[in-house]
Amino acid sequence: MVKEKKTSKEKETPKQIAKKLEDMSNRIVNQIHKNIDPVFTTQQRGRSNVEFDKNSKVLTLGDKTTSRNFLNIGHAKKFMQTMMVTEKTHNYLKENKTASIREIYYELKHTLGKTKENTFEEQTESDSCIVDLEHSVNTIREKLNLHANPKGTLYGDITLVDKKHNNDQFNANKLGRGGWSIMSRLEPEEIEIKQVKADYLLVIETEAMYERLVEEGFAKKNKAILISTGGQAARGTRRLIHRIHTEQKLPVYVFTDGDPYGWYIYSVIKQGSMALAAHSNFLAVPEAKYIGMTLEDVETFGLENVTERMKDGDIKRAKEMLEYPWFQNEGWKNELKLALQKKIRIEQQALANKSLSFVADEYLPKKIKKKDFLP
Amino acid sequence: MSLQEVSQAEEIAKEFKEHSVAEFFKKNMQMLGLTGKIKALTTIVHEYVTNSLDACEEAKITPDIEVQIKELGPEYYEVTVKDNGPGLTKETVGKALGQLLAGTKFHRMMQMRGQQGIGAAGCTMLSQITTGKATQVITGTGHGQPISLDLTIDPKKNQAKIANLVELKTTFKGTLIKAKFKGMKYVNSEQAPLEYLRRTAIANPHAQITLIEPTKQKIVFKRTLKDIPKQPLEMRPHPKGVNVDELSTLAKYTNAKQVSSFLKNEFDRVGDKAIAEIQKNVSFDLKKDPKKIEWDEAEEIVKQFRKINFISPRTDGLRPIGEERIRKSLTSIVQPEFLSVLTRKATVYRGGFPFQIEVAIAYGGNAGKGNVKNEDGVIEKKMEIMRFANRAPLLFDTGGCAITKAVQSIDWKRYGVKDFERAPITIFVNLISVHIPYTSAGKQAINDEVEIMEELRLALMNSGRKAGQFISGKRREQERKMKKELFYKFIPEIASALEGITTTSKIKLEKELEHLVLEKLKLEDAEEQAELEKELKSASAKKEKIKEILVEKKETKK
Repeated sequence: MVKEKKTSKEKETPKQIAKKLEDMSNRIVNQIHKNIDPVFTTQQRGRSNVEFDKNSKVLTLGDKTTSRNFLNIGHAKKFMQTMMVTEKTHNYLKENKTASIREIYYELKHTLGKTKENTFEEQTESDSCIVDLEHSVNTIREKLNLHANPKGTLYGDITLVDKKHNNDQFNANKLGRGGWSIMSRLEPEEIEIKQVKADYLLVIETEAMYERLVEEGFAKKNKAILISTGGQAARGTRRLIHRIHTEQKLPVYVFTDGDPYGWYIYSVIKQGSMALAAHSNFLAVPEAKYIGMTLEDVETFGLENVTERMKDGDIKRAKEMLEYPWFQNEGWKNELKLALQKKIRIEQQALANKSLSFVADEYLPKKIKKKDFLP
Repeated sequence: MSLQEVSQAEEIAKEFKEHSVAEFFKKNMQMLGLTGKIKALTTIVHEYVTNSLDACEEAKITPDIEVQIKELGPEYYEVTVKDNGPGLTKETVGKALGQLLAGTKFHRMMQMRGQQGIGAAGCTMLSQITTGKATQVITGTGHGQPISLDLTIDPKKNQAKIANLVELKTTFKGTLIKAKFKGMKYVNSEQAPLEYLRRTAIANPHAQITLIEPTKQKIVFKRTLKDIPKQPLEMRPHPKGVNVDELSTLAKYTNAKQVSSFLKNEFDRVGDKAIAEIQKNVSFDLKKDPKKIEWDEAEEIVKQFRKINFISPRTDGLRPIGEERIRKSLTSIVQPEFLSVLTRKATVYRGGFPFQIEVAIAYGGNAGKGNVKNEDGVIEKKMEIMRFANRAPLLFDTGGCAITKAVQSIDWKRYGVKDFERAPITIFVNLISVHIPYTSAGKQAINDEVEIMEELRLALMNSGRKAGQFISGKRREQERKMKKELFYKFIPEIASALEGITTTSKIKLEKELEHLVLEKLKLEDAEEQAELEKELKSASAKKEKIKEILVEKKETKK
């Protein structure tokens, strides 16, 4: 396992990553030569090894590690699978190819010798090997030339260069109403952020709200870049938000439904997710602000009649969030407590109750002007 | 009472007596093991085969016995048993097959297999009762021409009636009996003739036994040893094992002139010292004529017998099958992967009856009962207990038998047999004694005498330890093989992946990984072996404990 600082990690070249894989493999080969049970070590993940770093304000992974030994009945197959994934990604890096995580699954899937057993029975098996590998060599899958399914849209006056595709240069303002479909691979060596002419970046939970704002000409009027996540933000989308924020020093405002699900979308963009706590440095934007929807909005804008009852799952989730260290501030504690007290939720589109253009003409500009955010 | 009245009374008494044999027989069929359609057929086969085996042994002939069962109609069978024995004469055939309770086996202190059942004459009677037909006998002694005859029993006189007696022109030495029976059923179960003969063959490896089933299927249990076992010795009864009735009966037939010499002559281990001791404590003179001894007096003697410390009875008259013979026959018939055989030293129960235990544990091969396929199509075996008393198989009353109880009282897990009830195991137990303590007149279950239980348990534990070592070794070997296959399965992919990244030779890596796996398994095996030895040590410590408990029990019983 390799531990490094964020800066060097981000700039690692495919060659360097390939070298890391070779080093790890050589270590294993040497163990085998020395007649030692070969072991693959990676960072332990999950709640028990996730910490909230109060200084950097992001979720980070602790020091706990986990091992997979070949000579362990329960580990042997996983050990083999990890070696296979390692070799395949090493190949991608050498041959300058990229693949989706579903493609690598199919590339590696076959029957084992004369048995009836497959190398991989389900994609979840190769997926977890990929995560193991990312954590073991301390990089992200994109650097291993792998990517998940893309999701999310970019719109506004931002110029990008696709270095892997004839250095195509394009402005997300000139791609029609649909904007640019955010790719899953957004490393600087592939996509360059050339220029941004905007005052802030607005991240929107739903596609429908994104479409409303495009139709209302919101981006141009307010000098805003729009990104819709379509629910929980994909890695590529998070990476893009992170890069626009850090490279272009653009403030990030997040606009979601006023319910635990929406709030957690914000939380992941701001301080990272538990599953990818190790990569928070690549993905999180601790300076992001929450614009809405809030329960205060309900009062301020008179939306009481368009709220909905919280479901049991919502209540449970809200209670959990109240315990998370990264929600321990006045603003969020009050919001969550109020939600649990009133047991109501409010969707972004409920604003249409006022008028279709209300969100673009009044709600967002007013809140941004007043800096009426939750931290 | 007038003369007429006397003759009338005599007539009634005679009639009562005449009816009694047949009546007694019919009423007591259950006691004698003849109810139950399957059981009845097995008992018939048992009676004929036992007679043949005994006759051959006495004449020092290696037995060759063929049993044929034909189905004549619904629940209607013809049983034919042919042997190569000494044969019968016109004179002896009637007594052997045509007179109930004519056996000489009562009151003989000798180990004999034909102690239970109804005797071959009982079969003649049974055939007669159920079909009205005679039993056909063809027999030759080797001197003169063989004879053929039809035999029935006159129930009024309890005598054989011989008809159609002819001399045959052929040469034949041996006896062939052919009889028909109704109300029977031939099935292929654990209590059926086939299993009975299989077990008989196991206990009598010097005999060749053939069965032709109603389906015409011919099954041969081949002779595995040519030498005929030594005849058991007739032994004098030990004073500790005699009751008042037996003592009274023996007193009537003795040639001794005085009770003192009668006791010394007829009983084992009774010497002058014991006689002096008895004389001191009985109310009559031991010089008395034993034929005139009264019941009360016999009772007094038996009471003294109980008090006096006699030397244990001689055990040299017992004739176990022997470890080598059991080994040969089980190897031939059960073909196990592992076999542990043990003949214990003879000892005594209730102070007066010598007995001896033989145990064999067979594992794998055809051991265990049942060939039932389970849902996965795998043949499922069950543990099987083969019980024998003086070499004769016991097929009924399994649960009530001391042998079954002893087997079940053992914690087989301690010996590395994980799922004992479903293991491919055959447990062979033979109890040899001049007097088998049956639980009932059906004579199919042995009573759990303290000493017998102790001997059974010790024998089973001893063999069990040996079998357990093999079985757990085999299980470990299987587990090792499975593990090895599991690891080996992944090696090629690992080696080729590592070769792809590091350019180390795949073949070299494969060899090294295989070596790693083998070393690990070896290590695990050594650890498990050590663990097992530890367990066995604690098991034998437990065994000592059991011994103590048994001894205590025995003492409190006294």
